[in-house]
Amino acid sequence: MKKISRLGYEARLGWSLVAPALSVIALIAIFPLVWTVWESLHLHELRMPWLGQPFIGLANYAEIAKDPRFWAALGHTVFFTVVSISLELVIGLFLALAMNRVFRGRGFVRAAVLVPWAIPTVVAALLWRFIFESQGGIANALLVDAGILKQPMVWFIETATAWVPVILSDVWKTTPFVALLLLAGLQNIDLSLYEAAAVDGANAWWQLRHITLPLLKPAILVTLIFRTLDGFRVFDLIYVLTGGGPGTSTEPVALYTFNALLQNLRFGYGSALSVVIFAITFGLALLYVRGLGVRLGGDET
Amino acid sequence: MRLNPGIRVELQRTPDDASQRHQLYVQWLNARVGNPSILQLDVVWTPEFAAAGWVLPLDKYGPAKSEFFPATIEANTWAGKLYALPWFADVGLLYRRTDLVPQEPKTLEEVVADARTAMARRGGPPYGIVWQGARYEGLITGFVEYLGAFGGRIIDEKGNVVVNQPPAVKALEFMRDELYSSHVAPLDVLTFHEEEARFAFQNGNAVFMRNWPYAVAAMSDTSQSKVAGKFAVSPMPASASAPGGHSTATLGGAQLAINAYTDHPDAAYKLIAYITAPEQMLERARAVGQYPTRLALYDDARMRGTIGIPLENARRAIESAKPRPVTPIYTELSEILQIELHRALVRQAEPQDALNSTAARINALIERTGMRKLMAAEAIR
Repeated sequence: MKKISRLGYEARLGWSLVAPALSVIALIAIFPLVWTVWESLHLHELRMPWLGQPFIGLANYAEIAKDPRFWAALGHTVFFTVVSISLELVIGLFLALAMNRVFRGRGFVRAAVLVPWAIPTVVAALLWRFIFESQGGIANALLVDAGILKQPMVWFIETATAWVPVILSDVWKTTPFVALLLLAGLQNIDLSLYEAAAVDGANAWWQLRHITLPLLKPAILVTLIFRTLDGFRVFDLIYVLTGGGPGTSTEPVALYTFNALLQNLRFGYGSALSVVIFAITFGLALLYVRGLGVRLGGDET
Repeated sequence: MRLNPGIRVELQRTPDDASQRHQLYVQWLNARVGNPSILQLDVVWTPEFAAAGWVLPLDKYGPAKSEFFPATIEANTWAGKLYALPWFADVGLLYRRTDLVPQEPKTLEEVVADARTAMARRGGPPYGIVWQGARYEGLITGFVEYLGAFGGRIIDEKGNVVVNQPPAVKALEFMRDELYSSHVAPLDVLTFHEEEARFAFQNGNAVFMRNWPYAVAAMSDTSQSKVAGKFAVSPMPASASAPGGHSTATLGGAQLAINAYTDHPDAAYKLIAYITAPEQMLERARAVGQYPTRLALYDDARMRGTIGIPLENARRAIESAKPRPVTPIYTELSEILQIELHRALVRQAEPQDALNSTAARINALIERTGMRKLMAAEAIR
């Protein structure tokens, strides 16, 4: 009896000690989320007070389901995420492998590689826009000089070419981050495995496929979580580079939501869009964490 | 102020960027903030603020409406009442290189022909005409001028959406032909805002430019402009092929309205009346070159030399000025139009299809916002 009541006392003490932290979390994370969900069930157009603010149930969600611009934006987001992350993983892996070798000036190279990552996204995006903007821009000049283009082109007026600076700038900016995460994973691999494989006559390609990549999986998964969630929320880069154009053919969901919420001030509909994005990224995070958890558990046994 | 010694005026700074200022106002007014008592509105905001009940009607003060350019009054009128007084006017102008094209073109077709001739000359500029073709409000201001030139409208006087009718399709096709057929407009204009267009024209790279009056001052400065003293302005001409077309300049500019939540509406009106008085407008023209909205000032000798271009040209432009659709849902309507026009101009869609889609989406917007009834009431007036 005495023990139980003591446990109860400790539990109560524990709760009271974390209560301030929990209430802060409730205030800054849970309350806004609940409010957004509540808002998303209403018709609330800040510009049109004559409509009132009636409760409309799931009507906003029904509108999203029928909204071609939302589905197109979702498609653009997936496209951007898949293409840029694939490139970043491949290039990042090469960089990590190179940086993992012992050579003079390795510390310097590791630091230098991070420079693009350190530049604020908006600044980086403006730089890339400057490079690709106008027929007299740097990209056009280089490509025409190299004989790749016959004449300068306007990159931002065709969907296919408008993606080029967007993806290029994301790859340029984020690959160093990916490389660094992978490098940390590489350094955890026991070198004796490679020595044993070399003794058994395995070549470098075999070693990469059967030692490096399997053992790097946890690092790759962590990278994927970070980058997928970032990719799904991409906003500033595209906002600055293409503004979602030409038309709306490079518009990601975050930009569309910003537009509904802060340009058109449709609080109800914009909140519903926010909830949908939240649900998608949350679902993705869960998926990844589960995948990662299983693998880590497997390593332990 | 000696005229009204009881009234003390405080200035409040707001963002320069129009959409940021708009956002700030909407936040204030949703919170029923009565300060500032006077709001400076962009010309396309008045009906929105009026329908929302955020600004007060001015009719009871008996403003002298007939002394202002009709278009500036029309733009500030909603459901039969006047909600703001025009402070200064902005109008879309066609800039022309007088050394390359001495005679003012009388039709849109002449603009294209003159541009081609000038471009073909030895050492002629690479571009025939530059305008604002990026996907933003500027694209609408240009489109409204081509639309007027072909006799088209976005919404007619009965409140019907007519933006997919033949004159509008012709106007959009004409803009597209400038890019892809006669090649007088470079594809770059599809990413141009006002400043990119000005740089191109000011560096001597274009024969014509569509822009606002602000460009006159910078381009007359010989230290930065290669075209100082070599350009003239006129309103955008009508098309020769469209019988119902007329020379059209898009109306812009600033309006002054009374915040519906202010405690001092009468004092606010006195200040608006003072700021929009002829003397004050003259002073504004002298100090910053902004165009007065009062007709009589264009015959006033004191106006001469204030705005950098012949008064007669400015007056002609403002007389041909047309407001963009006067509706509380203008911002959303404009967004639809921006996207669809841009799609057509970058050749993602054919003009007729893009405008059909525009019309369908504007109609859906009108239904969703309950605007059909309000617009019918507006039409009956």
